[in-house]
Amino acid sequence: MTTVLLAVALLQAAADQLAARALEAAQAGDAVSAEKLWKEALGRAPNHHASLFNLGVMLHRQRRSADAVPLLDRAATVQPGYEVHLIRGQNLQHLERREEAIRAWLAALRFQPANVKLMQVVSLEYSKGRYFHEAAAMARQALRSAPNDLNLYLIAVKALQDAGNHDAASLLAAEAAAKFPDSARAQFEAGFHLQKRGATEKALAHLERAMALDANYEEPYYFYGDLLVRQSKYAESIEPLQKAIAIRPGYAPARVSLARALSNLDRVPEALVELESATIVDPKNAQPWVLLSQLYFRLGEEAKAENAKQTSLRLRREFPSVLEALQARPFPAR
Amino acid sequence: MISGVSVRIAVTGCAAFVGLIALAQGVATRNAPPAPKTAPSGRPFLASFEDVAVRAGLTAPTLFGNSLTKRYIIEANGAGLAAIDYDNDGWLDLFVPNGSRLEGFGATVAPTSRLYRNTGKGSFTDVTVKAGAALAGWGSGACAGDFDNDGDDDLYVTYWGPNALLVNSGSGEFSEQAARRGVAGPAKEWSSGCTFLDYDRDGKLDLFVTSYQQFDPATTPPPGKSSNCEWKGMPVFCGPRGLPFGRATLYRQLPNGSFEDVSNAAGISKARDFYAFTAVAADFNGDGWTDIYIASDSTPSLLFRNQKNGTFREIGTETGVAFNEHGFEQGGMGIGVGDYNRDGRLDIVKTNFAGDHPNLYRNTGGGIFEDTVLSAGLGINPQFVGWGVALADLDNDGWQDILQVNGHVYPELKDGPGEFYRQTRVIYRNLGDGKFEDVSGLAGPAIGARHSSRGAAFGDFDNDGDIDVAVLNMGERPSLLLNTHRGSAHWIRIELEGVASNRSAIGAVVTIESAGGKQTQAVLSQSSFLSQNDRRLHFGLGTANKVDRIIVAWLTGVTETFPAHAANATVRLKEGSSGTRP
Repeated sequence: MTTVLLAVALLQAAADQLAARALEAAQAGDAVSAEKLWKEALGRAPNHHASLFNLGVMLHRQRRSADAVPLLDRAATVQPGYEVHLIRGQNLQHLERREEAIRAWLAALRFQPANVKLMQVVSLEYSKGRYFHEAAAMARQALRSAPNDLNLYLIAVKALQDAGNHDAASLLAAEAAAKFPDSARAQFEAGFHLQKRGATEKALAHLERAMALDANYEEPYYFYGDLLVRQSKYAESIEPLQKAIAIRPGYAPARVSLARALSNLDRVPEALVELESATIVDPKNAQPWVLLSQLYFRLGEEAKAENAKQTSLRLRREFPSVLEALQARPFPAR
Repeated sequence: MISGVSVRIAVTGCAAFVGLIALAQGVATRNAPPAPKTAPSGRPFLASFEDVAVRAGLTAPTLFGNSLTKRYIIEANGAGLAAIDYDNDGWLDLFVPNGSRLEGFGATVAPTSRLYRNTGKGSFTDVTVKAGAALAGWGSGACAGDFDNDGDDDLYVTYWGPNALLVNSGSGEFSEQAARRGVAGPAKEWSSGCTFLDYDRDGKLDLFVTSYQQFDPATTPPPGKSSNCEWKGMPVFCGPRGLPFGRATLYRQLPNGSFEDVSNAAGISKARDFYAFTAVAADFNGDGWTDIYIASDSTPSLLFRNQKNGTFREIGTETGVAFNEHGFEQGGMGIGVGDYNRDGRLDIVKTNFAGDHPNLYRNTGGGIFEDTVLSAGLGINPQFVGWGVALADLDNDGWQDILQVNGHVYPELKDGPGEFYRQTRVIYRNLGDGKFEDVSGLAGPAIGARHSSRGAAFGDFDNDGDIDVAVLNMGERPSLLLNTHRGSAHWIRIELEGVASNRSAIGAVVTIESAGGKQTQAVLSQSSFLSQNDRRLHFGLGTANKVDRIIVAWLTGVTETFPAHAANATVRLKEGSSGTRP
């Protein structure tokens, strides 16, 4: 028994020495030697944590995630900790193994349960996987740790919206607007969600406030103008929509909405110009072509109408995700 | 030891409505939130519905595969049904298609369609076998019309596989003659919608048939196989996206009573890439020629405008009925046609998949439409997968209401959370000002009952002066929602007989004038969801006890004006019998 322990201790000591040399080599920029030495150390002591972790990290920096992950897995088993799980997660994300990455980051959070920044990352990653309910829960958890962080509010609101929890999204957006009265973004989000729920007058008030707070923020102008279009207040909608386009000339939805207003005011040539512009600034978007088709049809230009329609149909097939709402799904059990 | 790991945070704009990754479900849906409900009008709703199916003898269940899980989309869509008076006794009978199951039935007998004869005494008799109406297979849609102009309704039924044309002998029996008359369709097609129409105004009914897709279980992936085979992360049957598209076929009736496929010559075949359901033939632009509107699932819906020269042109996008108001494709299912705002133009209500609103397409003139669903107050129930639907004056107040039957396609939902396979029906009362209100809670227990419903056939089954509804329910017996209207509002029912036009008068448009107002309806073959409604046109008159004039625009292009008539009666109008032509 004593002999065995002595042998293990010797191997461990040898591994420590090799690992120390490897770290020196790595710091000196000799990655080849470092890798060789760490692997040699692991040959002596397969669970040598420093070698597993540092070699894993070096491979991570070299963007060799496929090689790094097995080492970091073993390192996390031998000696779990915040950093090893965090870096494991990054490599798994790089390998597009999203669910495993999220699990690694959740493991990291157990060591730093108040790490708001990591919670943000996890929430966003949940969202990318359409795990919107989990994304919202994580963002809300982060909000409890940092209740004055507007960015966290925005992440949570977005996740709730994507999860189809429109009531909660609207309530949280309203909460953010109350807490951050001088934030144009917060005011806009509140207005956006209120208009989505059909609370038009309240929405307009928030959007007006957002416009007043930041004259260079185009989205409030667009949604304000679009709401007026939907209320058939076409003449009043022109100015805010034009302002949105002036701020962001590539804002295709604003151009489509403006075209709608113009056509309803019998300013069809101007409407056509806006739509043609929209097709140029957003060539994947089928919607301007739909409206072009309708306008040409009303003008009796049936060949142009047909061409515009066919283009809209082609774009829908070629770029289907542009006009698609995603459905939430549950995060899979391991 | 390396410890500092910087993490870059990028928050996408909350307002962005753009998918980040590939399509993530097999059906078009938008996560639409419910629009806010307006304050109730407080007016009583006098129509009330009771499900009397069991009492009436409508007891045979429909079967569409496994009721607990659906492996293929063929098991999920169900079918429509047909309200027809096949024996001309003045009482609406009911034809109910049936489904099947892919694994077959072994030694047991496959279920068949059912024909129920209305006894006129509150009950129905199953005359399926006696009438020669027992059809096995995957039934889908039904439409009726007297295509041979012999004075009785014939029936066309669509299938996955050859379709059926049940020719009525006039003595209470049908004979299946689809292949003989050239309308059986391809052996492997999954046909869905059908409608009789007289597109060339030659007095003979032609036939239009849609197919949902070219379905083949051998090449259809299993549940969960791709992003087109999941619903909110749950593996479900694939499609319709990712599966081969359907098509549309126009059959022209020849002098000998058989039909020829004129889809290419008529321009129908030019439309491509759609999953078609219900087909409705009506004159949407008021030019006297029958057009065709098709509800498409997860693809643009289609409107074929009759060019008056034997050809059609597809103009759904151009006229505003292909998409919703924002240009999104929708999971279109059923279609109701009527004149909800009483401006004399035919409007359209279309049901869609869950997470979306229905469409209320207001005809602004010349067959150009505007989706007014949100301003009309119909955006409040996006939780429903809507199917059968009609614009029908349920309370006889003179304004067409909307009744919609619902049911999800995934039984795996297990009724929750927030989503139900079996869903209630919904009724929206027309307030007369372009707006509707949900009065489902005031309309009797049958409206609140949960079923996974599909087809709905509207008509006055008990001839008591109000509109009832027969409903096909998945895996269950049908429902017969009897309208026990409590009010004293008046009504009139108009039954047309064509002479130079086709005898069923399909395609004719009727306008009545009463109490200073007018109402317009069209005689339709298929509508609702793959269903045939009562072709007798029912008008509520409110307090008016007569109609002042009845104006019929026949499909020949001739308009006749018929004189005043007392309310609460059926008026039978034969083409050319008025003696007045404006």
